[in-house]
Amino acid sequence: MVDVYLVGVGGQGIITASKIVGDAATLAGKKVLLSETHGMAQRGGSVVCTARIGDVRSPLIPDHGADVVLSFELLETLRALCKASKNTVVISSTERIVPLSVSTQKLRYPTMEDVEGKVMRTAKAFMQIDAPRVAADSGVPMSSNVVMVGALAGTGITGLDRAHFESAMKMNIRRDLAENIIAFSEGYRLASPQP
Amino acid sequence: MLLMGNEAIVRGALEARLSVATTYPGTPASEIGDTFAKVAEQAGIYFEYSTNEKVATEVAIGAAASGLRAMVSMKHVGVNVASDPLMTFAYTGTRGGFVLVTADDPSCHSSQNEQDNRFYALFGGFPLFEPASPQECYDMVKKAFEVSEELGQPVILRTTTRVAHVRGPVTVGEISVGPKKKEFVKEPARFVTVPAVARARHLVLLEQLSKAEQMADESEFNTVIRIGDGGRQGIVTSSAAANYTIDAAKGMGLHVDVLKLGFSNPVPSKKLLDFLRTHDIVVIVEELEPVLEMQVRSLAQREGLGTKVFGKMDGYMPRAYEFDQAIVTRGLARAFSSDQKETTRCELPQDLPTRPPVLCAGCPHSATYYAVNKATNKKALFASDIGCYTLGVAPPYSTADLLVCMGSSVGTAGGLAKVNDLPVIAFIGDSTFFHSGIPGLVNAVHQGHRFLVMILDNRTTAMTGHQPHPGSARDPCNPGAISVSIEGVVKGCGVKWLKVVDPYDTSATTEAVKEALTQDSVSVIIARRECALIAKRDEKGAIVKKHYIDQEACKKCRTCVTKFQCPAISSIDKLQTIDEALCAGCGVCAQVCPYKAIKEAP
Repeated sequence: MVDVYLVGVGGQGIITASKIVGDAATLAGKKVLLSETHGMAQRGGSVVCTARIGDVRSPLIPDHGADVVLSFELLETLRALCKASKNTVVISSTERIVPLSVSTQKLRYPTMEDVEGKVMRTAKAFMQIDAPRVAADSGVPMSSNVVMVGALAGTGITGLDRAHFESAMKMNIRRDLAENIIAFSEGYRLASPQP
Repeated sequence: MLLMGNEAIVRGALEARLSVATTYPGTPASEIGDTFAKVAEQAGIYFEYSTNEKVATEVAIGAAASGLRAMVSMKHVGVNVASDPLMTFAYTGTRGGFVLVTADDPSCHSSQNEQDNRFYALFGGFPLFEPASPQECYDMVKKAFEVSEELGQPVILRTTTRVAHVRGPVTVGEISVGPKKKEFVKEPARFVTVPAVARARHLVLLEQLSKAEQMADESEFNTVIRIGDGGRQGIVTSSAAANYTIDAAKGMGLHVDVLKLGFSNPVPSKKLLDFLRTHDIVVIVEELEPVLEMQVRSLAQREGLGTKVFGKMDGYMPRAYEFDQAIVTRGLARAFSSDQKETTRCELPQDLPTRPPVLCAGCPHSATYYAVNKATNKKALFASDIGCYTLGVAPPYSTADLLVCMGSSVGTAGGLAKVNDLPVIAFIGDSTFFHSGIPGLVNAVHQGHRFLVMILDNRTTAMTGHQPHPGSARDPCNPGAISVSIEGVVKGCGVKWLKVVDPYDTSATTEAVKEALTQDSVSVIIARRECALIAKRDEKGAIVKKHYIDQEACKKCRTCVTKFQCPAISSIDKLQTIDEALCAGCGVCAQVCPYKAIKEAP
């Protein structure tokens, strides 16, 4: 049983990322359940998707139950920590999308030290990926989500093969597939355990 | 294959000789219609996005009464709109299989309430299916069409957000759609519900329901799942709650029998009574209303059984919001007096900045709301409606004071205007106007109500995923679709004062609002500008260029964030900046800045 908790901001391509994980698991012959956020929250709000690989019926991940938190945005990483425990690997993009509440209600956007401190106290490991930069370097600035999926694949925690992820990308990426594969590979490389 | 619950419903229908599908989009049901829209032509069925749920239901009734299989899908509150034809369609019954899909939304993820539509099945007398997974969505749709045709009665299939929007493995079969034509055989003694017919048909409905109960008693979807060694403790459950229940019981190491109901109205009385007789304690686990619980308790009382029944009527399970494994674990532990480590709910730190949904960069509604606030100085009452523009409720706009349902803005504005002295403005989107805003406008004209209706016309049904509506120039499912003119409708309703503005021109919009509010009858402004997401997708959006803030000219007045809202503009530690990647190039912020510090990027 592997539970992946995907979080970020509406518009970051999180549903597509979760579909790639789901299709990769299916191609690997494993049972998988995904749950998604649709509708109003997609308009720039906090978005949550879950991918549960294994024999389970409930699509939602219990508190402290995630094996991986895959976060596309730093503030959302903190919001996801309820699903983390000392068994959880947190992979976070360093991208910041400042919410309206910071501009208008004068709430403070957390610093990198805040995020690092809180994640390290809660989780087993914290991996930071500059996904927007990696995506831009690959030639498709919109491919941050694929970079993050690459990082998830690179950790090996899902138990799924790279080839399954790449086949799943072909099923879900409609434009610039070659560039997206490059973005995926770079995410994969950054998260792979050093040889 | 991996399918979303909504997609599995479509697949099941396409394998069940479906001929006609209709919908009005609404989360969490939207992908049913969107999937039909993609495949209808290739599959050879008729599909339409109808004007509203009532019309969608009536179109499907026309086809089903003729003898073809028809499906209509909608979100839970859509069934309220469709309830008028539905309640009497249960009396006439149907010739072709008829399945209504209602997608309920426990926890109101994307809805104005969390009503439990299983009550409609009891209320109107509809056989009811409640799938718990995408595979069951697929299987039950096929069964629902069979049951409907066998009984000659319309059937409801009810999902919830955690069924409709879950993707899981589904084993599918061969596509087999129904014929395109079937001649309606006239039978007024059945299909024309004058009082004499209605009285006779009510008895037919009751007779068919008792047959349906037999079918439910024999249904393979109503089965006992043994957890551990089973025993004298039992659980009755359905839908998404069944998933949490089975995972929770396994996780707790319980020995318990779970009666999972998939064909749940009429309740399978024989099966339930057997279950009650063979168990000492029975816990009912269902989300929202105690629909099963009331019936189980009533059966136990009727038969004088001593089985202990626990549920939400006695506080063991909550009556509001969706369940999860932890909630069910807690309830089961209390009911079965099982020793469980109390799991505490993880609370988020209070100081985390919230991130509610917001109007997009370049959203024309944002510009409209800015102009309205400027014109009224916020001294007005705002009747809002259902759509992206409802997000105007949040600061800095605060342009929503009353909202109950689709189309309600125009009607409620009439009441507000009658009893208030402040000016009243109703905001309604183009799709919502066609859905149910028109009768309110006719009423306002006829009754002489005095308020302003602003039709926020972004040329699409944006919030649910950009489906077409009767005013759309293009309809992907119907190449010959005629675009119905909003101006024509408004004038036809008898409105004397009508103006069309481009919301990106904030001063013209502001002036129009001021002028409209001086009229002594109902006035209408159509604020027309294509949804920024579509404009961006079609790469024809920006009327001007990307903008930046000239920090030397900026006086730090923060007007761009206190009077206006754009996700591309942020204000941190008194520094206002525009994220060029997010900027849609609408140029509205440049009109908002009092010091001309926001400029076109070079």
